Amino acid sequence: MSVDIKTETVDFDGKSALLVTVKDGSCIIGTCSMGCVEQSGNLSARLRMFYIGSDPVLNLICPSRANKQSDKLVSFSPGFQGYDIKINDALTNSFNRLNNGESLGSGLRDVFGLLGDGVYTVYYSDYYPTDGNGNFYWGAYNISHEVHGTAEHNRAIGDREYRPCFLLPTQPMDYFAPRVKVGIDEQVKTRRVQGIAYHVSGLYSALLKGHHGSVFCVENNIPFRCAVIEKITEPYVERKPRPTVSAPPAGEVDPEAPNAAEQLDAEQTPAENPDDGIDNAGINGITGFRSPSVKIPLYAFPRDVLKQLIESRTEFKPPHFNIMAAKLLTTRRKSINNNAMPRSVLERAEQMPDCEMVESAYAIDELTDEQLNCLLRGEVECNGKLIVSPNFYSSIITACSFLQFKDPKRFVDFSIAIMESPELSAAHEYVARRVASQTSNSKVFNFFKTVSESNDVKYDKIHFIAQTYVRRLSQK
Amino acid sequence: MAFCDLKPVSAMDGERGITYIIGNVFAIYEMGPEPPVVYSWDMIRSVAVISKEITFDTVGGKYSVKNNMFTSDDDLLRAIALIECKIKDYHFDYQHARRLFPLKSSYLELNPGKETYVGEDVLDEGDTAASFIMLLNFKLVKILWLIGLMVMLLTLGGIHLAVGITRTNWLYFVPISAAAGAITALLVHIVTQAIARARFRSIAEADCAARKEITFVVCRQGFAACESCVYESRDLVPWSEVDYFIESDKMFIIYKNNMPIAFIPKRAFDKKYVGGIADIMALNLEQR
Repeated sequence: MSVDIKTETVDFDGKSALLVTVKDGSCIIGTCSMGCVEQSGNLSARLRMFYIGSDPVLNLICPSRANKQSDKLVSFSPGFQGYDIKINDALTNSFNRLNNGESLGSGLRDVFGLLGDGVYTVYYSDYYPTDGNGNFYWGAYNISHEVHGTAEHNRAIGDREYRPCFLLPTQPMDYFAPRVKVGIDEQVKTRRVQGIAYHVSGLYSALLKGHHGSVFCVENNIPFRCAVIEKITEPYVERKPRPTVSAPPAGEVDPEAPNAAEQLDAEQTPAENPDDGIDNAGINGITGFRSPSVKIPLYAFPRDVLKQLIESRTEFKPPHFNIMAAKLLTTRRKSINNNAMPRSVLERAEQMPDCEMVESAYAIDELTDEQLNCLLRGEVECNGKLIVSPNFYSSIITACSFLQFKDPKRFVDFSIAIMESPELSAAHEYVARRVASQTSNSKVFNFFKTVSESNDVKYDKIHFIAQTYVRRLSQK
Repeated sequence: MAFCDLKPVSAMDGERGITYIIGNVFAIYEMGPEPPVVYSWDMIRSVAVISKEITFDTVGGKYSVKNNMFTSDDDLLRAIALIECKIKDYHFDYQHARRLFPLKSSYLELNPGKETYVGEDVLDEGDTAASFIMLLNFKLVKILWLIGLMVMLLTLGGIHLAVGITRTNWLYFVPISAAAGAITALLVHIVTQAIARARFRSIAEADCAARKEITFVVCRQGFAACESCVYESRDLVPWSEVDYFIESDKMFIIYKNNMPIAFIPKRAFDKKYVGGIADIMALNLEQR
C-alpha cells in the first residue's frame, strides 16, 4: 500500500505551521513502547525505543510509570546493527534536496514516507550538538543515564512552546571516521541545512542525517541548522490566569469577621498547587493539539487533518516490532578503530549552553535589575509579582542560567554579588561552578583571585573552585 | 501502557448525527462545519459502563454512547479496553458491572518470555456455571450437614411434642426425622445451585466478553484472559496483582481480594500443557 502524504500550511493567531499528514505510513522511523522494565524488583519504569528500520537505536527508560514530568534514562541501543542502505539513501536524497533549495515539504518527502501514521510539523531550527550537559552528543549516550530535559512536560518551561535544541545520535560512536569528515568539510561550509532531526522527547531530537557535518560545524563555530520533524500528539488547554485576590495584611484582618480564619489562612499558607492561579471554569474541551514547538488550536486544523489526528494513535508498534525486540537482546559486534573525536570539538561542546540555560530562557521573559536586587535581598517577589518561582534557591539558579544564556555581562555581576553575600551561602558552590566552567573574563578572574588569597569564612565553599580556576587560567 | 496499539473507536448516533471517537482523546463530532468538542482524559470525571451504554461525565457535560451505536461488539470491547487503560494514568471514577475477566487497567506490557502457554476459546456456559456452583459448594458444604442435622432434630422435637416418642415408636420417628433433614439439605443445595447458575447468567449477559473468543495466556511473568479482538501479544496481568487460585477439573479460577477475577478453562490449551500451566500458577500463587 502506498503512503499517502499531504502537506499544508496552517495560519492561526498571526503564526503559521507546516503540517504533514501521513496515512498508511511505513513506520520505518519512529518511537514505540517496549513495555515495562524491571528496576530493583519494580515494574514501574517503561522502556520506549527510537527505531530506524528494524533496528533499535535509542533506549529511553521512562521512570515512575512513564510520568511525563520525569526525565528519562537514555542510552544508545546495544542491539543496533546498522540500518538498511535504502533508508540511508532516502535520508541522503532528502538532505541533498533541501540543500539544493527545495522547500521543507517537498525536500523531505522521502523521509515522510518513512514515518508512521500521524500529523507532523516541520521547521528549521538551530541545534547545539551536545547532550545538554556540555558533552558532544555523538558518543555521549553509550551508558544509560538520566538526561536532564528529556521529560515531555518540562517543569521549568511549563505550558509554553519551546524548540528542542539538543541532539541524540542515530549512529554509534565507532561510525565516526576522520577520513569521511575531511571529505565533507568543504561541503558543510556551503550547506543551507546541516542535518535532519526527528524529535524524540523534551528538548532532545535524534539526528537522522549530518553526524560528520556536526563535528565540522562545532569545530568551526558554524550554526548547526536542522530540518526538524515533530509529531503533533498532545492535547492542550489554554487556561486564563485567574484574577488574583491578595490576602489583606494580618493587621487588617478583622478577628470578628465571619471569614477571619480563612483570611488568616490565606495569608499564611503558601501556594501549594501550581495550578492555583489558573481559572478552570468555563472550559469545554481542549483548545487544540501541540508538539513542543507549536500549539495549534482546533479551529486552525483542516477538518480531515484533525480527524486523522484524533483517529490516530500516539505511538504504536511497527509491523517489524518482533525483529526489533529480538535485536534489543543482542549486542552489536563493534569494529575496533583508533578514531577519536577532535579535542577542540569536545572543548567547544563544553562551552555551549546547557539544558538549564535553555530551559530558563524559555521559562523567563525578562529579568530587570530591580528583580535581581530583590533576589539578592532574599525575596522571591518584586512589587507583588513572583519573579521566577516561589522557591528561593530555584529562583536564584534559574536566574543565573537565564542571565548566562541571555546576558553574560549581567550574569557575571549577579554571580559575584551572590558569592559576596554570606546569606546566600547555600547557592555559592553552584554559582561558582557555573561561572568557573563557562566564563573566562577578567572580572571573574580578579574575583576568584581575591577569593583564593582570602581567608574569609564566607568564601569557604568556593575556595577550592576559585583556586582551580585561577590555576587553570594562569597556566594558559 | 498496556493495549497502547488499540486503534481509536468511533460510534455513530444516527438520530442526532453525532459521531463519538474514543481513543487518545474523547471527541464529539456534531453535524456542521464546527470543529469537534475534544476532551483529553484528564477532563473526564467518570465513566460508567453499564448494560446498554457507556456514560462519560466530562468537565463540559455528560455524554451517553449507546452500545448499539458501535458498528460491532468488537468495537464496543475495544472502546471499553481503551477506557480501562486510561484509568491507571488519569484516575477517573469507573463504574462497571461485574466482569468475568480482569479489567484492562490491571494489565502491564511485559515480555512474556519463552515458557508461554497461549490458548483461545469461547467461555463455555456449562463449564463456567459448574465452576460457579463448585465455588458455592466450597462455602456451602461446611453448613449443609449442619442444616440437615438441625432440621432432623427440629422434626424429632416436633413429633415428640405432637405425638410423644416412646420406646415402642422411636424406631419409626428417627428415620422420618433423618429423611426430613436430608431432604431439606438437598432442597437447599438445589436452590443454591439454581441461584449460582442464575448469577453466572446475569454476569454473562452483562459482559459481552462471555460470548466472544478469549485469548488465554499463562507465563512466568503473569497471565492474560482477554477478548481476542482486543488482545496484544505482550499484555499481561502480573502475578503480584492477584492473590490465589483454585483448580477445578475444568478450570483455573484466579482470585483477588476473595473475588474470582479470571476463569481460565483448561480446554483452551492442549491437554499436555495443562500440567505446565498448573506448575507456573503454583509457583507464583497460593493454591486453595
